[in-house]
Amino acid sequence: MNYSNIEILFVEDSIDDAALTMRGLKKGGFSNTIFHVKDGAEALDFLYCKGAYTLRNCEDHPKLILLDLKMPKVSGIEVLEKIKSNMELKTIPVVILTSSKEDPDIKRCYELGANSYIVKPVESDNFFQIIKDLNFYWMISNQSPK
Amino acid sequence: MRGIVTDINREEFRLLKERRRENDASYENSDWIFLLFLVFIVVILALVVILIKNQNTKNKIAEELQKSTLLIQKNIKEISAVNSELEAFSYSISHDLRAPLRAINGYAKILHEDYASYLDTDGISALNSIHSNSKKMGELIDALLAFSKLGRKQVTTSQLNMDALVKLVKEETANKLSKIEFTLHELLPAKGDQVLIKQVWVNLISNAIKYSNQKLKSMIEIGSYSKDNLVIYYVKDNGAGFDMQYYDKLFGVFQRLHSQEEFEGTGIGLAIVQKIIQRHNGAVWAESKLNEGTCFYFSLPAL
Repeated sequence: MNYSNIEILFVEDSIDDAALTMRGLKKGGFSNTIFHVKDGAEALDFLYCKGAYTLRNCEDHPKLILLDLKMPKVSGIEVLEKIKSNMELKTIPVVILTSSKEDPDIKRCYELGANSYIVKPVESDNFFQIIKDLNFYWMISNQSPK
Repeated sequence: MRGIVTDINREEFRLLKERRRENDASYENSDWIFLLFLVFIVVILALVVILIKNQNTKNKIAEELQKSTLLIQKNIKEISAVNSELEAFSYSISHDLRAPLRAINGYAKILHEDYASYLDTDGISALNSIHSNSKKMGELIDALLAFSKLGRKQVTTSQLNMDALVKLVKEETANKLSKIEFTLHELLPAKGDQVLIKQVWVNLISNAIKYSNQKLKSMIEIGSYSKDNLVIYYVKDNGAGFDMQYYDKLFGVFQRLHSQEEFEGTGIGLAIVQKIIQRHNGAVWAESKLNEGTCFYFSLPAL
C-alpha cells in the first residue's frame, strides 16, 4: 500500500466509533485522505515506520492526528507522550477524541502537549457536527508547520 | 557521817529522778521523730503510688491515643479506597458506557438517513425511539458524572458579588426570558465558590423559568436577607409548583415530581444544588403550592 500523502492519522480501537467518525468526516464533504489505525501500538508503528510500516516514507508526516485515549496495549496518553517528545513529530497537531470527560485526563493531555481535547458526544447530530467542525478547523482554518 | 550518806542518797535520788525525767523527754522526742518518719514514709509512698498511677494513666492515654490513631488511619485508608473505587467507577462510566450508547444512537441515525425509504411509519417511529432513548440515557450518564464529580471537587471560597453573578446568569439564559417578568432585588454579598454558586443560580433560575413557562406570564423574583451569621437567598416563581407531601423527594438524585411529558429534565438539578450548598455548610429548602408557584431558599455564610 502507498502511504504517501496521508493527511489525517486516525487512531481508534472501537470499530463503531471508527465507522461513525469516518462517516462524519466524509459527510462533512471533505476529501482529505484519512488513514485509520486500530490501536496505539499500530499508531507508533506507523509514525516510526516500524512493523507493517517499514516501507513507509518516514519523512512524510500526517498533517493531523486524531487520537483516542482508552485503547488496548498502548494507550492514547502513551502515544501522545511519544509524539510530543520526538523532535520530528512534535509539531504535528494532535487532537484527542475521546469519551472521557475526566479532568485528570484532560489536564494530563494538555500537559503532554495535546493541541485540542474533544469529548465525543453520545447524540449523533452533535457528534457528526463536531467531526465536521473539527475537520474544517484543523484542515482549512488552521495553519500547521510544513 | 549518816548525815553525809543521807545527803548523798538524796542527791542520788534527785539525780536519778532528773535522769528519768530526761529519759522520759528523750523517749517523747524519739516518738515524735518516729511519727514524723512514719508520716514521711507514708507521704513518699503516697507520692510513689500517685506517680505510678499517673504513669499508668499516661500509658493508658497513650495506648488509647495510639488505638484512635490506628483507627483513624484505618478509616482514612478505607475512605481513600472507596474514593479511588468511586473514581475508577466514574472513569469507567465516562469511558465505557458512553461509547456503546454513541454507537446505538449513531447507527439509528444512519438507518434513518440511508434506509428510511425501506421502512414504514412504525419502523421510522421505532428508530426515532431508539435515537431519543439513547440520547436520554447519554444525558443521564452525563448528569450522574457531573454529580459525582461535584463530591470530589475542592471548594475554594472567596467573597462573592451576588448581584453581578445573578445578572450574568440571567443574561446567559436571556433567550428564554421573552415573556418573563423578573424582579431582581439588590443582593447581599456572601462567601462561596464562584463556579459552584454560579451553578446553583443557573439551576434554580432555569428551573423557575421551566416550571413557570406554561403560565400566561412568568414571574420570577430573586432576593436576599440576612439572619444570624447567614445570608439567605431566594428564587420565587409563579409556576406549576408541587405538592408539599412529596417534599422529601425534591432534592433526591433522579427524583422528579413532574412527568417527562409535562416538563423535561433529568432530575439531577436540585440534587446538585443541595450538594453544592451542603459543601458550603449551608442549607437549601423550598416552599410550594401546587399550580401557584415555588420559592427556593439557600443559605451561605455571611462575610
